[in-house]
Amino acid sequence: MNEKLVQVFSPGSVAVIGASNSFDKLGYHVMKSLTGNYHGKVFPINPKSDRVWGLASYPSLEAVPGDVHLAVIAVPARMVPDTLHACGRKGVRGVVLITAGFREIEDDGGRVLEEEIKEIAGQYGLPIIGPNTFGFVNLSSGVNASFTSEFSRIERGGVALISQSGGICHLCGFLAIEQRIAMSKLMSLGNRCNVDFPEVLTHLVEKDSSTRVIALYIEGLDDPRRLLDVAKSLRGRKPIIAYKAGKSEKGDSASRFHTGSLAGNHAIWKGALRQAGILEVTGTEELLDTAKAIDSCSLPGGTGMAVLSGQAGPGMIASDALEPAGLKLSRFSEATQRRINDLLPPIAIRTNPVDMGPAWYDPKNIIAILKAVIDDEHTDGVIFLAMYASANLNLAEGMVEYMKAADSFQKPVIACFTAPPGIWDEPIEALDRKKGVAILPTPERAVQAMANLWKVSSLSKGRGVKTWDR
Amino acid sequence: MLGVDALAFLEKEGFPVLRSFLATSEDDAAGKAAEIGFPVTLKLSSPDVIHKTEADGIRASLRDESEVRQGFRQIVGSFATDQPEKRLEGVMVQEQGGGVEVIVGMATDEQFGPVLMFGLGGIFVEAMKDVSFRLIPMEASDAKDMMEELKGRQVLENPRSGSVDLPAVQNLLVGISEFITHHPEIREMDLNPVFVSSHGARICDARIMVL
Repeated sequence: MNEKLVQVFSPGSVAVIGASNSFDKLGYHVMKSLTGNYHGKVFPINPKSDRVWGLASYPSLEAVPGDVHLAVIAVPARMVPDTLHACGRKGVRGVVLITAGFREIEDDGGRVLEEEIKEIAGQYGLPIIGPNTFGFVNLSSGVNASFTSEFSRIERGGVALISQSGGICHLCGFLAIEQRIAMSKLMSLGNRCNVDFPEVLTHLVEKDSSTRVIALYIEGLDDPRRLLDVAKSLRGRKPIIAYKAGKSEKGDSASRFHTGSLAGNHAIWKGALRQAGILEVTGTEELLDTAKAIDSCSLPGGTGMAVLSGQAGPGMIASDALEPAGLKLSRFSEATQRRINDLLPPIAIRTNPVDMGPAWYDPKNIIAILKAVIDDEHTDGVIFLAMYASANLNLAEGMVEYMKAADSFQKPVIACFTAPPGIWDEPIEALDRKKGVAILPTPERAVQAMANLWKVSSLSKGRGVKTWDR
Repeated sequence: MLGVDALAFLEKEGFPVLRSFLATSEDDAAGKAAEIGFPVTLKLSSPDVIHKTEADGIRASLRDESEVRQGFRQIVGSFATDQPEKRLEGVMVQEQGGGVEVIVGMATDEQFGPVLMFGLGGIFVEAMKDVSFRLIPMEASDAKDMMEELKGRQVLENPRSGSVDLPAVQNLLVGISEFITHHPEIREMDLNPVFVSSHGARICDARIMVL
């Protein structure tokens, strides 16, 4: 399975079964995705036309000359069993089965049909992603095997989002474009015929060097222990974060035991995720922020934070957010304090949180302060806050210039740069996700992401974290 | 399995329990109390009663033989008057426990199979649902995390009197996890309360459901 998945996710050739020229067919949209920036061979399969999307089309999979690594299937459900047999005979490495109408529907025929395709898949050893999926996008190798071509606009990076829901991929995928989150993979597992979370997790950890953090969206699993056991066996290799939906608090109300009545599904999931070394997050925003921070920053070695702010208020709310999140303001060493004092006049608060106001027009000093606090042995991470004001127009651009020569920060720096649209856009883009810096929208979100970096760091080492729920 | 039976079973398996005997007469109770040493607690023992407090079935901190005799008579008397339809096995005479009360339990979940629960006893578990779970089997580090996860963990870290033997709690959690791994026939279990003092954890009451 693992060997085949390598070829499925980075195929040299793709056949689109049910490829179409008409907008109201999913096969049209899959072709649109694949004719964008995919460099391998694309074989449209359609018995009724000669050309689809300007490419020579084939009446059947058998008629395709040469090897087919991946088949994307978008034909009606009743035709799927025969189509899978054809894929098996052709020696296709794996399938994306977009077609819906299997066990997710009310009609019992759907369940029966899914049993049938499972059997066919087993017969040929054919990995099937889906059915009932929008497909997958592999940004690292430039393959968009989905019916949403716009996902190709997501920047290439280290976040793999593996979801039980296609809708969540669409929610997060477009937010990723907006918020400069860079992804390696975006995938909905659909009904998880035989490619489920454990298979994909193993692939991403062992075979996919482009993935730096794995974000899971889970609704419910028949056999959650299989996922948790695999995650545990891979513990410490790559950070895994999970957003578990369906938070039923209800235990067994018939139980006459305290334990039984308190053992709600979500309470167990919570404990089980931690046990497996997976960080649980509780919202879309937190999932994306945390994934971005892990992808961009070093992991902190402790909880001591330096807060650097150009304006007092944002620095204060960031400082307030630290303790409930399990972090604390670090105390600078004398040497660090001397370096800061040399860079800032005494009209500012120069202890942590540092008021950088007086240096606001001097990006060189700002960077020097940032370096000074990072060098401090008591600092494990930095929250950096810069709000635009007309007079500091050149700050962001200036920082970009000085950062060019700087080495990557070995401690995490999470920053907020807030400015009217159009003013700092380019420098923000140039600073974000570079040299160990991640940019997030608000001080509170920056602190939460920082806290999660610390938790991920602790979990990967198999250590408990005292501050989970505060 | 309830009360004395459950405690005897757990003791046989090597778990720390408060010394407990079932007494069927006043003289018997007085004798058992002397054997254990004072103070002792008396508890109603009936297969039909779950909440002993509500049935007026508990007398704690009894300091001598006369208090034990009086307690025995009161428990049996009010039980016979208030709940004549229910069966009475006797009265449990138990070594007096002390320290922080915690709950250790296990349940069998449809999807997850056996899971272990830890929480602070009394109001914390009933009203606040301040508990943590782990899948069985689990390791010693998981047991430590279970304790640290509780919102009320400061009760364990900084109790008002004395210190709390956290390693003993950890040993108990790991021990129960191992025990359940080897006994899949056990479906549900409440060890509630378990008293944790500065020197050890002792199971005070237990209920076990065996398939």
